[in-house]
Amino acid sequence: MPKRVLIVDDALFMRNTLRDIFSSAGFTVAGEADDGVQAVNLFRELKPDLVTMDIVMPYKSGIDATREIVQLDPNAVVVMCSALGQESLVMEAIEAGATDFIVKPFRGEDVLAVVKKVLGE
Amino acid sequence: MRLEQEPPAAPLWDSIFRRMHSVKGSAATLGFSRIVDIAHAAENLIARLKGKQAKIERAEVDLLFAATDALVKEIVKLDKKEDDERTITLVDRLAKAAQALPDPALAATRPPAPTPVMPTADPSLPRLDVSVVLSKTCAAPGARALIVQRKLKAMGTLLEMEPTPAQLMQQKGGARIAALLATLTVTDEVREALVALPEVEQVEVRIAPVARPVEEGRPLPPPPVPIISPPQASMRGHPTPPPVRGLTPPPIEPDDLRPEPTVRVRAEALDQLLDQAADVMHGIARLREAAKRLPEHVAARLEGEIDRLRRTARELHGRVMTARLTPFSSLTERLPRAVRDLAHRLEKTIELEVHGADVELDRTIIEALGDPLSHLVRNAADHGLEDPQARERAGKPGRGKLTLSARRERDKVVVEVQDDGRGMDAAALRRKAVKSAAMTQEAADALSDDAAYELAFLPGVSTRDDATEVSGRGVGLDAVQRKVESLGGKVSIRSAAGKGTTFVLELPLSVSMANLLLVQVGGELYGVPLHRVLLTTEYDLSARGGEGFEARSLVVMGELVRAYGLAKLFGLPSLAPPGPRPFVVMEVDGLRFAVSVDRLVGQEEAVLKPLFPPLDRVRGLAGVTVLGNGRPLLVLDPRGLAEMCGIHDPSKPAPAAKGAA
Repeated sequence: MPKRVLIVDDALFMRNTLRDIFSSAGFTVAGEADDGVQAVNLFRELKPDLVTMDIVMPYKSGIDATREIVQLDPNAVVVMCSALGQESLVMEAIEAGATDFIVKPFRGEDVLAVVKKVLGE
Repeated sequence: MRLEQEPPAAPLWDSIFRRMHSVKGSAATLGFSRIVDIAHAAENLIARLKGKQAKIERAEVDLLFAATDALVKEIVKLDKKEDDERTITLVDRLAKAAQALPDPALAATRPPAPTPVMPTADPSLPRLDVSVVLSKTCAAPGARALIVQRKLKAMGTLLEMEPTPAQLMQQKGGARIAALLATLTVTDEVREALVALPEVEQVEVRIAPVARPVEEGRPLPPPPVPIISPPQASMRGHPTPPPVRGLTPPPIEPDDLRPEPTVRVRAEALDQLLDQAADVMHGIARLREAAKRLPEHVAARLEGEIDRLRRTARELHGRVMTARLTPFSSLTERLPRAVRDLAHRLEKTIELEVHGADVELDRTIIEALGDPLSHLVRNAADHGLEDPQARERAGKPGRGKLTLSARRERDKVVVEVQDDGRGMDAAALRRKAVKSAAMTQEAADALSDDAAYELAFLPGVSTRDDATEVSGRGVGLDAVQRKVESLGGKVSIRSAAGKGTTFVLELPLSVSMANLLLVQVGGELYGVPLHRVLLTTEYDLSARGGEGFEARSLVVMGELVRAYGLAKLFGLPSLAPPGPRPFVVMEVDGLRFAVSVDRLVGQEEAVLKPLFPPLDRVRGLAGVTVLGNGRPLLVLDPRGLAEMCGIHDPSKPAPAAKGAA
C-alpha cells in the first residue's frame, strides 16, 4: 500500500513541487489544501499517513492547524515545511505537536529522507 | 513569616536550614568569607531554634530577616572588599541568640546536602550520558534540538541538556548536544530512537559515571559501554522503541514531571521585539497608503495581500504583548514581608490577604504600579487601620485586615487596596480642601460624601495632621492618581466611616496601543487620546469673540463648558476660515473643557512612544506615534492642556468647577 500524503501550502508552486517529489517516490497524494482551515477539514476526511504543512497561511496558520490535527489524531504525522529563518515558528509547531520539519528551499531527496525516517521506513 | 504564625514544623526548619547551608557552601567554595560568617551564624541559630519547643519570638525572626537581608546585600556588592563592622555586629548578635538556646543533639549531625536545582527523578533510576551530534547541513538546529529533547523526554526524565534548543536557535549545523537522562530504557534503545531522527549524525549513549547508588535488589544496569553509531547502521531501526520489554517496568511518565516548556527572555529583548512588531505594523500601514496611488486593478490585488500581512502582523504584535504579560504576584510577592515590618513599626497587627495574584498585566504597567501600590499599602496601614486598642473599642478584632486584589474585567484590570479601618472623614476632607484654598466653603458643602473622598487626591489635602515616619503627611495620593492616569487608568475611593476604605485602580491591559482622534491645527496633525474625549461638536464663536479668542464658553449637554483655541495654546496660526468650527470636548477629573481645531481628520489606533528630549519638556504633549504615511504624530496630553488653560492648575484653585451651569 503506498503511503497517502496531504500537501498543505498556500503557494501553488510549492504544492506542485511537493506533489512531483512524492509521486515520483511512489507516494499517493491524497489531497491538497491551501489554507489551515481546509487542511484540518481534509485531514478529517482523508486520514492521510502524512501531512506536509506550510506555516504561514491565510485564515489559520500551519501551527494552529497542526495543533487541531494532533488533537483529532495524536498519532498524526505532520511535517512542517518552513522557510529559512522561521526557526522559532518551527519550534512553536513542534510544541504544538508537529512530528518533524523540513526547511525550504529543499531538494527532493532531503524531503524524502525526513519523511521516510518519520514514517519509520 | 510562617514561623511566627504557626508552630513551626520540622520540615519548614529543614528547608530554611538547607537553603542557608547551601548559601554557606557556595560562598565558601568561592571564598566569600563574610557571607560564610553570616550564613554560618544564622545556620547555628536556625539549628537551635528548631530544637526550641516554644513559640518563636518576633525578635528571633527579625534577626533571621536581618541575616537574609545582609546576605542579599553582600551578594549584591561582592566586589567591594572592605571589612564591614555591621557584618561583625550581626554575626555577633546571631551567635548570642544561638547561645541563648540549648544546643540540640541534631546540631552534631551533618546538615543535609543542598538540593539540586535540576528536575529530580527517582534516585534509583540509572542515569545515561547522551551525546548527539547534529548534521552539518541542519538548517534549524534549535528546532532539531527540540525534537531530540522531546524524544529524550518521552523515554525518561531529562535532567540536563546542553546547549538547550533555545541556545541553538540561529546557529550553524554540526552542534553537539550533551544530555543527562534518568531512565529505565536501556542504552541501545535510547541510541536507536535518537539515530532514527532526521539530521542526527552521531549518537553516543553510556551509563553516567557518577550514577547515584542503586537500590539493593534491583538489577544493576549494564556496564558502561560507549556506543558510537553512524546513522546508516540503524536505518532499519524503529523510530520508537517497543515500550515493554520482559520484566522492565514501564518508564516513569514524563508528563507528570515535565514543567511547561519555557525559556527565559531578557525584558529588553521583549521590548525591542514589541518595538519592531510595531514598526512592521507601521510599515504595512505605509504600504497601504502607497498602494492607494496605484491603478485600481493593481491596487485591489495588492490590498488583499497587504490585508493578509496586516492580520499576521497584528497577531504578531498581540503575541508579543501576551509574552510581556507579567503576573500581579510579581508586585505582591514582597508585600507580606513589607507589611509585617510596617505593622511592627506602627505597633499594629495587620493581616494581609492577596487575591488574584495570577492576574496578568503588561510589564510596563506592573513596573509603573510598584510605587503607587506601595504608597497605598503604607497609607492604609498607617492612616487607614486603627491601633489595636481603638479597634477593640470600636468592637472590631484587634488585628487589622488589608486586602489586595486584582481581577480582570473585560479589557481592563481592576486592582483594589482595601482596609477595614476607620474609613475616611468626609467632613475633615472638606475642611482641609477649603483651608488649602482648593475650593470655596459653599462648593465643599455641596459635595456628597463620595465626592468629598476624592478631595484626598488634591495636592496638599491630607486627612491627618500628624506626619508619621511611615507615610509622611499623606501627601502623594495626587502622585498615585497622576501615575495611574498616565497609564490610561483611573483611581477612585470607596469608604464608609468605621468600616474601612477601598482604593480602586482601573487599569488598561496594555499601555502601548492608544485610540486617537486625529485633528488638524495650523496645518499640523495632532492626536487626542480618545478615552479623554467626551464628544466633538461644531460651534460658531466668531460671532461673539472673533479670531484669536482665548476662552469662551459653549453649551455641551446642557452644561456650560469653557472653550480654548488649540492654535492659540500652541502659538500656531489657525488656518480655518471664520465661521463654525469643530470643537473637541475633553474631560479630566470630571472637569470638562473644549478646544477648537481647524479640522477633524479621523481616528487611528496607534502605538504610543514616549517623547524624546527636548519635546518631553513641552507642556500639553503626551507622546509621539508614527502615522501610516510615515510622518510622526504628536499626541496631546489632555491633563496638560487643562493645566495650560488654567482650569487644572494644581497650585491654584480650580476656577471652572463642574456644574457651573
